[in-house]
Amino acid sequence: MSDPGPSPTPEEAAETGTLAASIALKQRAGGIIVPVVTVVFAFVMSFIIVAATQHSVHTALVVFKEIFLGSGLNWLAHPTTNTFTSISAYNLSQTLLQTTPLILTGLAVAFAFRCGMFNIGGNGQYLVGLIVANWLGVDFAGLNPFLHILLCMSAGTLAAAAYAGIAGVLKATVGAHEVISTIMLNWIAYWTASWLFGAGGALQNSTSPTNPVSNQVSPGARLPDFWGKQGFQGLHVGIFVSLAAVVVFWILLNRTTLGYEVRAVGFNPDAAAYGGINVKKNFIRAMAISGAFAGLAGTLDMLGGAQNYQVGQLDIPFIQVGFIGIAVALLGRNTAVGTLLGALLFGGLLYGSFHGLGSSSVIDPTLASNLTYIIQGLVVLFVGADVLILYVWNSRKKARRRPRGKPAERVEATT
Amino acid sequence: MNTWTARLENPLSARLRDPATTGAFGILLGAFAAFLAIPPIEARTVTWPILFGIVAAALGIWTVTRGRRRLGWGAVAAGLLGIGLGILATRSSTGNLESAFDATLVAQTLGFSTPLVFGAIGGMFSERSGVVNIGLEGMMLMGAFWGVYGADKGGSWAVGLLVAMGVGGLLALVYAFFAIHLRADQIVGGTAVNFLAVGITGYFFIELYNNNPIHNGVSLLPNVHVPGLPVNPDNPHGFVDFLGQAVGDLSILTWAGLALVILAYVVLFKTPIGLRIRACGEHPRAADTVGINVYVIRYGCVILSGMLAALGGIYLSEGPQGNGTFIFNMTNGRGFIALAAMIFGNWRPAGAAAAALLFGFSSALALKLQVYSQSAGTLFQILPYVLTLIAVAGVIGRTVAPAADGKPYAKQ
Amino acid sequence: MRGIRKEFPGVVANDEVSFEVRRGEVHALLGENGAGKSTLMNILYGLYRPDGGEIRLNGKPVSFSSAREAINAGIGMVHQHFMLIPVMTVAENVVLGTEPVREGVLLDERAAARRVADMAKTFNFAVDPEALVEDISVGQQQRVEIMKALYRNADVLILDEPTAVLTPQEASDLFDILQTLRQEGMSIIFISHKLNEVLEIADRITVLRRGKTIETVSRHGATEASLARAMVGRDVLLRVDKPQAATGDVLLTVQDLHVRDDRGIEKVRGVSLDVRAGEIVGIAGVDGNGQSELIDALTGLQKIESGAVTIAGRELSHASARAALDAGIGHIPEDRQRRGLVLEFSIAENIALHDYAKPPTARSGWLFPGRMVQRAKTLIKEFDVRGGGPLTRAGGLSGGNQQKLVVAREIDRDPKVLIAAQPTRGLDVGAIEYLHRRLVAERDEGRAILLISLELEEILSLSDRILVLFEGEIVGEHTGEVSEETIGLEMLGGGEKAVA
Repeated sequence: MSDPGPSPTPEEAAETGTLAASIALKQRAGGIIVPVVTVVFAFVMSFIIVAATQHSVHTALVVFKEIFLGSGLNWLAHPTTNTFTSISAYNLSQTLLQTTPLILTGLAVAFAFRCGMFNIGGNGQYLVGLIVANWLGVDFAGLNPFLHILLCMSAGTLAAAAYAGIAGVLKATVGAHEVISTIMLNWIAYWTASWLFGAGGALQNSTSPTNPVSNQVSPGARLPDFWGKQGFQGLHVGIFVSLAAVVVFWILLNRTTLGYEVRAVGFNPDAAAYGGINVKKNFIRAMAISGAFAGLAGTLDMLGGAQNYQVGQLDIPFIQVGFIGIAVALLGRNTAVGTLLGALLFGGLLYGSFHGLGSSSVIDPTLASNLTYIIQGLVVLFVGADVLILYVWNSRKKARRRPRGKPAERVEATT
Repeated sequence: MNTWTARLENPLSARLRDPATTGAFGILLGAFAAFLAIPPIEARTVTWPILFGIVAAALGIWTVTRGRRRLGWGAVAAGLLGIGLGILATRSSTGNLESAFDATLVAQTLGFSTPLVFGAIGGMFSERSGVVNIGLEGMMLMGAFWGVYGADKGGSWAVGLLVAMGVGGLLALVYAFFAIHLRADQIVGGTAVNFLAVGITGYFFIELYNNNPIHNGVSLLPNVHVPGLPVNPDNPHGFVDFLGQAVGDLSILTWAGLALVILAYVVLFKTPIGLRIRACGEHPRAADTVGINVYVIRYGCVILSGMLAALGGIYLSEGPQGNGTFIFNMTNGRGFIALAAMIFGNWRPAGAAAAALLFGFSSALALKLQVYSQSAGTLFQILPYVLTLIAVAGVIGRTVAPAADGKPYAKQ
Repeated sequence: MRGIRKEFPGVVANDEVSFEVRRGEVHALLGENGAGKSTLMNILYGLYRPDGGEIRLNGKPVSFSSAREAINAGIGMVHQHFMLIPVMTVAENVVLGTEPVREGVLLDERAAARRVADMAKTFNFAVDPEALVEDISVGQQQRVEIMKALYRNADVLILDEPTAVLTPQEASDLFDILQTLRQEGMSIIFISHKLNEVLEIADRITVLRRGKTIETVSRHGATEASLARAMVGRDVLLRVDKPQAATGDVLLTVQDLHVRDDRGIEKVRGVSLDVRAGEIVGIAGVDGNGQSELIDALTGLQKIESGAVTIAGRELSHASARAALDAGIGHIPEDRQRRGLVLEFSIAENIALHDYAKPPTARSGWLFPGRMVQRAKTLIKEFDVRGGGPLTRAGGLSGGNQQKLVVAREIDRDPKVLIAAQPTRGLDVGAIEYLHRRLVAERDEGRAILLISLELEEILSLSDRILVLFEGEIVGEHTGEVSEETIGLEMLGGGEKAVA
């Protein structure tokens, strides 16, 4: 066979194919190198910002060292010599606490991506999980703790799945773009939470009616800590739920017919329909599963660390967790393991910069916390655009082969 | 076949999508809003008549942008009338409502709408040229911070305006480079812009101002005093006083925003450059084959959208409500409401402006109603998002984005 | 144009192509699909850069790096896929990029409409300048494209396969227009692969084959046979040796089928046909006459308006794609990259595309990738798919091997009815011959095969029975020997049935 007809070049597919297909192409072209380069690049640029604004390279170096130490990841180097009372062990437990929901919101974004959809509504789904978990966690006080936790988690997860499913249904039935609908759902959830937990709201704190804050989750519904000391905020068992979710994500995608359908629809909905797959059903289902991951994150945060919700709190956990999931998933190339690593990176960054520098006199700690957003923004910007890296990659390869141009088969088809 | 049988053969869904149905439904809803307030139902709170009135007005705007002008404006009028009647009817029984519904409500509506108008018109230029811009929020935030910075360091609000536009345009340029040149996914790029803006403004806010929110003596955006209108009448009564309270003392940017809507309409639909912009958003290849430089047009539009969004942002920090104060992440979703207004207005200047006014009205109400019911206030904050969600759901007529919106263009 | 050369990765699209066009002549560029005609014209229009050769316009060497430069030099092009913006008016489309202006900045809509109306009147175009492009017919849209060129004072007009989308009446109107334009002194380059229309309209004809110029001849003295020989490079058309069909039961029955496309336009209007076991029924027709909708309706990918589809006795009129597959339909789709394959999937995963949820590939929702790979290994060997193993990405295969992969999957399912749509599109001769042999072999296995192709030659050489589809209706049916002309006439709506 000598027929000329290579498949489309990555650039071509990136422009004509689905999101999932183009990401897969980039993945092939760049492999693991691209995310690593992206992260390094983002760190270097934020390093330059710090060095420039502090007029000192030395300060910048110290800042990044402090962030690293603050994340507690140095504990991993010598785990046996340290006990939990050591600062690095405590820091690591807090980093993992941040990582727990990020894994799940990352998986949420990744799962939708694999079905060719962009679930930008992780935040709203997370909030729905949070709200339901708080509601049931407060209301069913006295229930068997195990059952209570299970009830809160499953109800929150299902509610979030249904909530995300709205976007899936709209896409499947009337073709509404999921990005627009999930953005709207985000803010609807945000204001609903403010409404419910705000003054006069249905779920507002019963003991102090003027305070826009929810009730505390009943002690029986709290996730038990397994690493930490009394009086400290320890690491709760939610991390194992998150890790289990990573495994579930992988199995679901790669070892079930459901996952096969999701991937086929994500890569090429036309071919999937031709193969007898119900594309619309998959849109709805994948969106719901995606929402379930995000909602689960919300329940873990409510039953674990937070235990109540404060209206108008612009703190990271409540406002940004879903959005950071986008960075996590993109950095992790929408794979199970990649998402896990991405979540760990951002978890460390969040805690390391936010609290790790609390005791530091080098730089204002709140200043450093904003670095997280900058790094996150740069990571997303570059990961989304690794056409840049691709471009260099391909032009180098092509320079060795032959001049650039359109693939032959397309030409024949249009001549 | 006569029209009657044609109508019968139309499936129900098609008839629901017909703007005529929407408009008629809007008028009915407006009437219903008024009906709620009067006996026998006599709703105790004013919330429900207003809620229905706003929805009626929204349906009206919708209908107008889908081509049935007279019917649509009818629905808008019915909705407003419903609100008015509803207020009048409940007013007699609840005394403190008087404080909520007066001329300042008009002023506040215009005030809340101003950043939305700038954001929505900015977004419209970007999307009409074929680039989705969900980074409006971030560009707005940049304008909010760097505007104060410019006004502070430059000593004049005018410098603040220029700095805000410059920085907003710069961030937009970065986004444009990724979205247009590198053909990055535009949603991902826009998300990145939003992150970056939060980080950059937060970082420099602490770095330059040490997290201190109030800067006394910063030159603020001036208000425009309309000649002949009393600015703050002591004992307001009569139409002139009403007008004075309503529009006598509005920010210069509020008026600029209204002018911008007209200007945007003229540019987009009455000039060659507008024709070319729309061509790039609908069919870039066709534009290219007649010699239009798609990249130049798209770059220009995205940068313009960044500048306009930044103007919306500076209004938040330097306008009457902002008082020269920047607060961390102070846009808090207004960029997304602007995006919603643009979509709701069907990518048209008048529609986007009408939607921005409506959303501004619901924000103003939310604030006013907080006086006696906080939860009711919050309810009105949700309204823009719910309305837009219903709009994109297309159950009541179609939202038509430019055909090539969000699709990177590769030259051959 | 002299010695034009253009390479794409893996193929030389134009190899030392030369031809010239005189003022006031219609010059046809004739060649098969893939001969390099469109590439050549895209170079002339500034969309591609040539790798070699030179272009002279009125004696002066020119070089265009963009369409704008070509337009300014007086070259206009009517693309095969119209470059029109549906939601804008005719006038707006015509003036786009070169708009009349009033008061310095404003778009002069009235002047635009007037200029377009004048042009329409001069050339007898019958197009309303104020109408939206999406509301006018395809023929009228083409006239808008021509007006775009005229508005920009083009004196060379390139038409890329202009009749492919037209009805015969519209085509005849177009020829009248072209005659008028020629009389006005315009040079027209007419790209086509249809012999009859080239002989009808062109003054001179340049034949391209595989990227090379074969000859330039005057219309006088040229015959369809001589041109055909130059075009394909051999006297005898490709014939497949096949034994007489041994037909059995009717496996596919279609009764009075009506289908609307996504925009609600009725594209299949009362088609009835049946295909028996052991025969190949070919459907001939010009592109866009309802073929795609017919296929999609049969395979459950498009809802049908009314009528009945029966496969091996099972009523499948409103069935899903899944049900159609399960009832025994095999489908080689017309676009293997868009629909036939998930390019990002491995060969093994692609082979499982229809039966991924059935044993042995899966059981109660669990997937067994190892079994998928095993099956792929067998089929790769059996169908001689080259270029990779079971885990190779399908997108990395060559076009011919991709098509083999599709055919392998469809045939391995042991379908009762095999629908082959454009099975050889974009393939080279070797792959075409393989596929043709394979189709005949499957026919002899007792399958009912419905062949839909735009290549009349393919239909003629493979089919036991030929149906002609025109504007969604079957306008002719032939068994045994039938001339290309007869069918060609029917394809264009000129058959007896359509007349009567």
